[in-house]
Amino acid sequence: MARQWADDDDDLMAALQEAFRAERDVPREFIEAGQAAYTWRNIDAELATLTSDSATGLATAAAAPVRSAEASPRFLTFSSADLTIELEIGPDGIIGQVVPPQPGRAEARPASGPVLDTEIDDIGCFVVRPLPGSPFRLHVASSGISALTTWITL
Amino acid sequence: MHDDPTVAMLVRRARDGDKQAWDAIVVRYAPLIWAICRRYRLDRPDADDVGQSVWLRLVDQLDVIRDPAALPGWIATTTRRECGRVVGVARKREVLGYTQDVAEIPDSDPAAAEAEVLLAERNAALREAFRELPPRCQELISLLLADPPVPYAEISGKLGIKIGSIGPTRARCLQRLREFPSVAALIGADSIPARR
Repeated sequence: MARQWADDDDDLMAALQEAFRAERDVPREFIEAGQAAYTWRNIDAELATLTSDSATGLATAAAAPVRSAEASPRFLTFSSADLTIELEIGPDGIIGQVVPPQPGRAEARPASGPVLDTEIDDIGCFVVRPLPGSPFRLHVASSGISALTTWITL
Repeated sequence: MHDDPTVAMLVRRARDGDKQAWDAIVVRYAPLIWAICRRYRLDRPDADDVGQSVWLRLVDQLDVIRDPAALPGWIATTTRRECGRVVGVARKREVLGYTQDVAEIPDSDPAAAEAEVLLAERNAALREAFRELPPRCQELISLLLADPPVPYAEISGKLGIKIGSIGPTRARCLQRLREFPSVAALIGADSIPARR
């Protein structure tokens, strides 16, 4: 149906208008975030996506124990094909656990600022302290497994 | 899918470590991702989440993309899947324990899905071709597309061309636009029968 733009000038002008409108709709930061993704090219890791977040009520029944609204920490769960990463974000740091449990290293990598590097113990637990700059991503590496979360905004 | 020389080149360069090529890929296809997110009625944070996931996956996949012409289709498919994931999570938010059936996701029509990709390709090619036009052509076309419309007399004054020349000049500019490689590739692909 809309093939005429190849021959008809008015149709081509309409197609151009449509093309510019589609571009104008996209927020600047949406594009910039996509461009920034390239910096992760050198990290060989599988992506762990957010599957549960107590802050948005995006929670499975197990992940959100009822607590007083004010002081309650935030619980996040990320999953990749091989690994689940559970995080409890408190006022001065992050307590995390990888499932299945295994030792290794965890790195909090903020968009800007220093990388916070910490050890994962034998039962898969780790602590990141102080809180990393926001937003950041968590990179978990143990023998044979390397996973990187999507961006975490505090 | 047609063969767009621009995409193949950008993918090759991004694979070889060229950040500018990557940026250009993002500029080219962010509108496609955004449009799909809109169709799924995602709010801004969810759309950001989807965009991020798609680009991160593409960063991971750059080395294994054998056919760059398939890139827009891959981006669209990945975006729809991510939108489905986010919508599913949102549903759980509303009704605990309720998981959205894949069939409910507004995407089951393969023809509509292909049309969405083709439109994004056409849009991207037209924008790129437009930016390669001589400045006077760009100015003229922009003025002609302005909303609210700019009167011909004003266009004539601004560009210093006769009112009677506006039509023929536009025709020449648009002809150049059609000759731009990625636009010409689309026109060529369209003329192949049996793809409707």
